[in-house]
Amino acid sequence: MKHTLIRTLPVIDRRATLRWLAGALAVGQLAACGETFGESAWLAPTPITGNGTGRDPNLLEPAAPWPLTLTQAELLATKALVDLILPAEGDAPAASEVGVPAFIDEWVSAPYPTQQEHRALIVPGLAWLDAEAIARGGKRFALLDAAAMKAIANDIAFGGRLKAGLEKPAEFFSRMRALTMGAYYTTPAGWNDIGYPGAKPGTGPYAGPTREAIAHMRALVEGMGLDFVEA
Amino acid sequence: MVTTRDGPFDAVVVGSGAGGAMAAYVLTRAGAKVLMLEAGRDYDPEEAPMLNLARDAPLRGSGTPDKPFGFYDATVDGGWEMPDEPYSVAEGSAFMWWRSRMLGGRTNHWARNSFRMGPYDFKPFTRDGLGVDWPISYDEMAPWYDRTEKLVGVYGANLGLENHPDSGPGVLQPAPKLRAWELFLKAGGAALDIPVVPARRAILTTKIDERQPCYWASPCGRGCSIGAAFQTTTSLIPWAKATGNLTVLTGAMVYEVMLDSSGKASGVRYIDKASGSHREAKGRVVVLAASTGETARILLNSQPNGRSEGLANSSGQVGRNLMDTVGSNVSAYCPALEGRPVYNEDGAMGLHAYIPFWLYKEQAAGRLDFPRGYHVEIGGGFGEPGVGGYEGFDGYGSGLRQQVRQRYGARIRLTQRGEMIPNEKSFCAIDPDRKDKLGIPVLKFSFAWSDHELKQVTHFQTAMRALMDRLGGELTSEAAAPEKLISVGGEIIHEVGTARMGMKADQSVTDRFNRTWDVDNLYLTDGSIFCSKAHKNPTISILALSMRASDHIATRLKTGEI
Repeated sequence: MKHTLIRTLPVIDRRATLRWLAGALAVGQLAACGETFGESAWLAPTPITGNGTGRDPNLLEPAAPWPLTLTQAELLATKALVDLILPAEGDAPAASEVGVPAFIDEWVSAPYPTQQEHRALIVPGLAWLDAEAIARGGKRFALLDAAAMKAIANDIAFGGRLKAGLEKPAEFFSRMRALTMGAYYTTPAGWNDIGYPGAKPGTGPYAGPTREAIAHMRALVEGMGLDFVEA
Repeated sequence: MVTTRDGPFDAVVVGSGAGGAMAAYVLTRAGAKVLMLEAGRDYDPEEAPMLNLARDAPLRGSGTPDKPFGFYDATVDGGWEMPDEPYSVAEGSAFMWWRSRMLGGRTNHWARNSFRMGPYDFKPFTRDGLGVDWPISYDEMAPWYDRTEKLVGVYGANLGLENHPDSGPGVLQPAPKLRAWELFLKAGGAALDIPVVPARRAILTTKIDERQPCYWASPCGRGCSIGAAFQTTTSLIPWAKATGNLTVLTGAMVYEVMLDSSGKASGVRYIDKASGSHREAKGRVVVLAASTGETARILLNSQPNGRSEGLANSSGQVGRNLMDTVGSNVSAYCPALEGRPVYNEDGAMGLHAYIPFWLYKEQAAGRLDFPRGYHVEIGGGFGEPGVGGYEGFDGYGSGLRQQVRQRYGARIRLTQRGEMIPNEKSFCAIDPDRKDKLGIPVLKFSFAWSDHELKQVTHFQTAMRALMDRLGGELTSEAAAPEKLISVGGEIIHEVGTARMGMKADQSVTDRFNRTWDVDNLYLTDGSIFCSKAHKNPTISILALSMRASDHIATRLKTGEI
């Protein structure tokens, strides 16, 4: 591979941070004035107009030609959320350390029907996340402490105990979780975490199951009252 | 009208996929000068992104309308819909037509599953009174299958199974070892008398010529630049070129067969896509292998003396008898497979084992309510994690990571591939109201499954649910009426039958050597000539039938008969 496309979160300079804080303050003031995140806020965002890959792209030098569209505020909420979904643990890095926010941006910015459908859920969902954080804790989602973030997530992340009225945010969370996992487990860190040992060209015949894998399968199958035949 | 340079040719071959490339190979090796016309662009197998990673591709390689089988799929300028080359579907029908526009056609990305048709498959009418028999028998085809498999390189095992013929001695490549989850299915199947046996695929496991054997990585659908997974662009086409007798013209969209004053084919007319100009290519024999749909389209659009029924269609069978493979799926999560020792299960990146149809005796005895068989392609294992498939998870954080590790390698997918019987409602014809961007009238498809196929789906679903149940699997696929579970016509990309061969000129388009009854020097060597659509994936049979027909053509060219 001559290059990879993993994009990292843009470096945020001091001026940008100040602008963002000013925006956060404005949102806080809106919330304080009694604005709520109603049904209308889930309306679809502006559609994408960029070019797709075309039907004959260079497969050896892959590139996504469409411009990225998430705002800095949306990217910060994304980063906080994907790291809540897959935080660092042991040797495994957090989602944002392996480019997941940039992937989400690439995904929702892509000019294809599936991605546009997801965009119509994710862009308002990120706004909901900030509005909910401000309503509950007076700060945007990314500025909440871990416990406050989890308090919001706990209302929308578990299929068996969703908080009534939060069906749409729950749908948003499920989509973000699926995309975060898809992005994460395709990285080297994800392969390592899951144990995928493949994509390794070898010579000679295919090695087949290890002795340990065969012994395990034999015990498993015989434990089910079945005959094990190796071959 | 400009006549193509470098002529005259002994043979003009339309298409560079399985049927066309085999014809070019056999004819050029026999000394014939061959012009091959391909509608798509030239393609170099070195373009295949064999070791690129999903994480480097746009959207991690997800399928899009531009690249429906994923970014890295080998298909060039094709897919289900091509904006410049539309097709119509009759009201009340559903049909999907996968095309590619590249040298080598769809052989660059196929699954390489290569199951021979057997004795019953060539005489289905004799067996159950439905459809028609082929004008040839399995015994006649067996040596051609042997030659084809030996040339192509097919891994598998001779198992002595009913209607799943063995290959000749020394023909097959060694099959790769079964993986642990395949042994799991084999044990469950044995308890229910469902066989799980080594599969056959057109993949080299040992070196036989300049092509390299499989190195046990890289999805085959991306194309195989080392030549392990068979495609015509690493084998038949370069071999034919090496004879010095093959001329390849790409970007040449053939739309019509020309006849001379005696009614013989004199060549074809095509549009050079780069310039938009209409041209002619002439030869002593014309071989159409443009794909089942395109071959029928060329015949129907060739209207000598204004005959609206098209060429080689005195039987009225051109476009009729359109068939595809019956498809449906059962998938399950198997808790028993949780936490098993991880090792490299990539293998040949496809089937090492499958379930061949195992109920011929019951079927013959009238104990089944569906007349034709199916096989089951099985999937599972510790595959490369993809970007999709994470919908069923719950929560976040550490618990989520734990769920992923627990479920890895515990999913099983069972895919039905069944035989369809030709019916009156399934055919293609020219749409009188629509032309493509080049001005060529397009095809209009009509398609319907019958009860035969629907009952077969129900049987498959019931049998596979029983298998999963015996293994403690929890179904993750839908349980629904077969009408909802069956594939859309064309979706399995095994469309065949639109110009079938036969014993009699009034019931078929070609004779037993793929020669059209109406035009003595016009041959069809793709899937269009199939009389039935056995459950077996058609490519290996297209190759073998093309080899046999081309040998016949070569003999006639040599004797001066044409």
